[in-house]
Amino acid sequence: MSEPLWGFGRLVQLGGTAPRPRWSARMVAAAGVVVLMIGVLALKLAQLQVYDSTTLAALARSNTVHRTVLEADRGIIYDRHGVALVQNTPVWNLQVVPADLPTDARLRAAELAALATLAGQPEDRLEAALAVADPLPLRLGADLSEAQVLAFNERLPSLPGASIALHAVRTYLEPLTFGHVIGYVGPLDDADLQRLQPLGYQPDELVGKVGVEAGLESMLRGTDGWADVVVDARGQIVKTIAMQPPVAGHAVYLTIDASLQRATAHALAAGLSRDGKTAGASVVVDPQSGDVLALVSLPGYDTNLFTHGISQAAYNRLLTNPDRPLLNRAIAGQYAPGSTFKMVTAIAGLQEGKITPQTMLGCPSYLSYGGWVYHNWAGYDLGYMNVAKALAVSCDTFFYQVAAMVGDVTLARYARAFGFGQAKNLEMPGVQPGLVPDRIWKQLTCGVSDLNADSCRWTLGDTITFGIGQSALLTTPLNQAVYVAALANGGVVLEPTLVHLVRDASGRVTPAQQRRVLGTVPASADNLQAVREGMREEINRPYNMNYWFRAAGVPADGGGKTGTAQWGGSGLNTPTHAWFVFFAPFAQPDIAMSVFVEGGELSEVEAAPIGVDIMQFNLNNHGAIRATSPLPPA
Amino acid sequence: MRPTAWQRLDHLQPLIAGMLVVLGLMTVYSAHADWVRQLVWVALGAAAYTAAATFDYRRLFPLAPWLYLAMLALLVAVRLVGRTALGAQRWLSIGGFPLQPSELSKLMLVVVLAAYLSRLASPSWRGFIGALVLVAPVAALILTQPDLGTTIVVMAVLVGLLFLGGARIVQLGSLATCAAVVTPLLPHLLHGYQRRRLEIFLNPGSDPLGAGYNLLQARIAVGAGGLFGQGWLHGLQGTLGFVPERATDFVFAVFAEQFGLLGSLLLLAMFGILLIRLLRSAAVAPDRFGALVAGGVFVMIFAQVVENVGMNIGLLPIAGISLPLISYGGSATVTTLAALGLVQSVILRRPLLVQPRPLLSGNITLRAQA
Repeated sequence: MSEPLWGFGRLVQLGGTAPRPRWSARMVAAAGVVVLMIGVLALKLAQLQVYDSTTLAALARSNTVHRTVLEADRGIIYDRHGVALVQNTPVWNLQVVPADLPTDARLRAAELAALATLAGQPEDRLEAALAVADPLPLRLGADLSEAQVLAFNERLPSLPGASIALHAVRTYLEPLTFGHVIGYVGPLDDADLQRLQPLGYQPDELVGKVGVEAGLESMLRGTDGWADVVVDARGQIVKTIAMQPPVAGHAVYLTIDASLQRATAHALAAGLSRDGKTAGASVVVDPQSGDVLALVSLPGYDTNLFTHGISQAAYNRLLTNPDRPLLNRAIAGQYAPGSTFKMVTAIAGLQEGKITPQTMLGCPSYLSYGGWVYHNWAGYDLGYMNVAKALAVSCDTFFYQVAAMVGDVTLARYARAFGFGQAKNLEMPGVQPGLVPDRIWKQLTCGVSDLNADSCRWTLGDTITFGIGQSALLTTPLNQAVYVAALANGGVVLEPTLVHLVRDASGRVTPAQQRRVLGTVPASADNLQAVREGMREEINRPYNMNYWFRAAGVPADGGGKTGTAQWGGSGLNTPTHAWFVFFAPFAQPDIAMSVFVEGGELSEVEAAPIGVDIMQFNLNNHGAIRATSPLPPA
Repeated sequence: MRPTAWQRLDHLQPLIAGMLVVLGLMTVYSAHADWVRQLVWVALGAAAYTAAATFDYRRLFPLAPWLYLAMLALLVAVRLVGRTALGAQRWLSIGGFPLQPSELSKLMLVVVLAAYLSRLASPSWRGFIGALVLVAPVAALILTQPDLGTTIVVMAVLVGLLFLGGARIVQLGSLATCAAVVTPLLPHLLHGYQRRRLEIFLNPGSDPLGAGYNLLQARIAVGAGGLFGQGWLHGLQGTLGFVPERATDFVFAVFAEQFGLLGSLLLLAMFGILLIRLLRSAAVAPDRFGALVAGGVFVMIFAQVVENVGMNIGLLPIAGISLPLISYGGSATVTTLAALGLVQSVILRRPLLVQPRPLLSGNITLRAQA
């Protein structure tokens, strides 16, 4: 029976069945241990997977599912014909989330050293910056080039907590020309944060600080989206499980004409440098609609410095620059209007019946009031003249008499009717009102408790200098443009506006509000016409600024007025500013402007040619500026 | 009437092993390990299984001393020319394939110890000490690689075989006493990272992002599995790499996250059946050597399952050890399958007694022939 067989069965006895297993006591014990151990493991498993499951599953989810913010694109700002004035430039930065750095001190130090080398900044500075930024991500070093992004991407897996973040950064085109209109965005400061956090702003967000970037913030800012992404243990995104796409901000088409803005800036800069001046401003408006076609303040500055994080040194240079480039003179520079105010005095005199368009008053070289002598600009008697002639030759003594007849309170009322002393509701912050003085104002602001004290008493001298745009009267280039526009359009004071069209993210276009009328000047058509005649006469007088019109080939068809305003004292050698206000054409004006030269001594020579240059460009490009373009490109 | 080899086979054992291998491949695939390579290892393991089952295990008995020497030679070779990875010198490169001699040595030690213990008629102190002396250099060589996990398995095989081989309770008790004396000294004997693992096990929250990370992430993965699991390939922790060593030491956590409590219990049950089946193989073995070989394989697999699952769920300290038939790894897969094949070899060669058929017709037939 034990015959060996092939292969498997060589030692097997044939023809039978297996014996029953011989379980020894120890084998049974071993089997018991198996059952016991597996039971213990099963119990622990049940505890983890049933009892602790909810907690541990939540931990797993927070491990792997992260919510990221999807930044919305900020709206692009265009000129009225769709020329982009700002871009959203993608920028890559090395970014570190402090909490995601290794906790092991040695590993952490090694990683910080590596990051410091990559970012090119000292390690101790990095450590300090991280402590400040925590728990927000910290951006390291300069913007990365594409090659650097590729190189860094390869190293990222060995650098937990570090990532490459993509941001859209505002890039302003021609900031020296458009900077004071557009402004810039910057990080929220504490005051901003308090104001804007209820609106859902995040502390690391950027917000418009000045210019229309600030004034149109609510339109330009989009709505951020979010995405729940699954990340692996290295922090790399594996997939997106849910998302809310961001909604871009509205695109805004300004009323500004880019070419006219450039021409205005160029003419102003050229005029300033001709006369060795450094600062000035000019505002060009459409007198029929209130659209601001150009708004220039010089000197400008590079607004892009602010979006890329300006250095303290560069910021200090801007702050301490004696020309104050950060001041937008067009809206916030307050200066005496000087002779450009005489139209208000003339209207007041005419409308109040103190003079008629035909009334002839003398123009002596000086007048005495209350023991004080008030001079005309000319040292000789110019003879008798009507109001139009008085405007054309800008006779000071003529308007002293008119102002004395009208009185300060009435004159102030007319000034306010033309928009003096009123902060216009332009779509940017910082618009200043200027100042219209009268006896009440003087009593309120003299700073002495005894209202009968000399310094609180309004004098006749105050009234008559008020009549030629001095006294305490202050205006801004913007207010001047609105004022001359009202003279041009028949007495309607319009709210100036910078917004032409708004297009939302879905492409729907909303035209800006219809023209807004702030008020109508209380002046009859005849009286207005008399004043306008005076303004026409001024630019048409031979041997005067008419020279500039002839030289530039610009027809003197319109009305203008120069003004050389004294400031900072009285007497003959006080510093002055030069003004020029202008509208054209005379019959149906479609352009009105103010030109301001800070420190200008002779308005007819310094300010007027700038206005003529702007007019020359306007005439040569009239069709293009006025074209109602088809829907501007996206 | 002659039972064919097919009829004499233990069918349940390869069936369970095959199912475990399939689950292992699925888990290895979900853990983004090189599953094609693992498939090659499984194929090699299946070949090793067949070869071991075909090979008469009794021929190993006279080879035992040479096996022992070969094992020592391999372990010494790994010290001299071995490849270092993850802070340990464990691998030998054989023809381009990385071989982990410590894995192989577990099976070789089972055979050697079985041979040694089967020769001892009575459980003498001399024989007992002899077994300890036999194992001591092997354990020392593996521990200093350093490979704490395999050392634990080696010690378990020693104790388990002594127990199954009939060592006296006093002898085993003295061994336990020695262990109790050595344990306080353990922190001084262990490597820095091994000591750290022990501390972490005792207080896992102490350093959640540092050394305790592994343990914590494994527990999170297991817990996230819940009752029914996240589904195959839908585990977050495991597939996204939060679980460390996700295809080897912590493969169980990855499995448990995807298949939940039900899957985990099923896996444990399958291991339980396999282990009881191995004990039964020892019980039906034709001789003492075969019984001890089967018993040794039983202890070897049992120790690995308990230690691996235990450390995955935070019941036992972390020691680098793979889950048999599930974890990724060539040496371990081939060794385990070869060990099971060896047990099959024992079963195939069990004596079959001639017995009268219980059926009447059968009796009649037999008588008629006689």
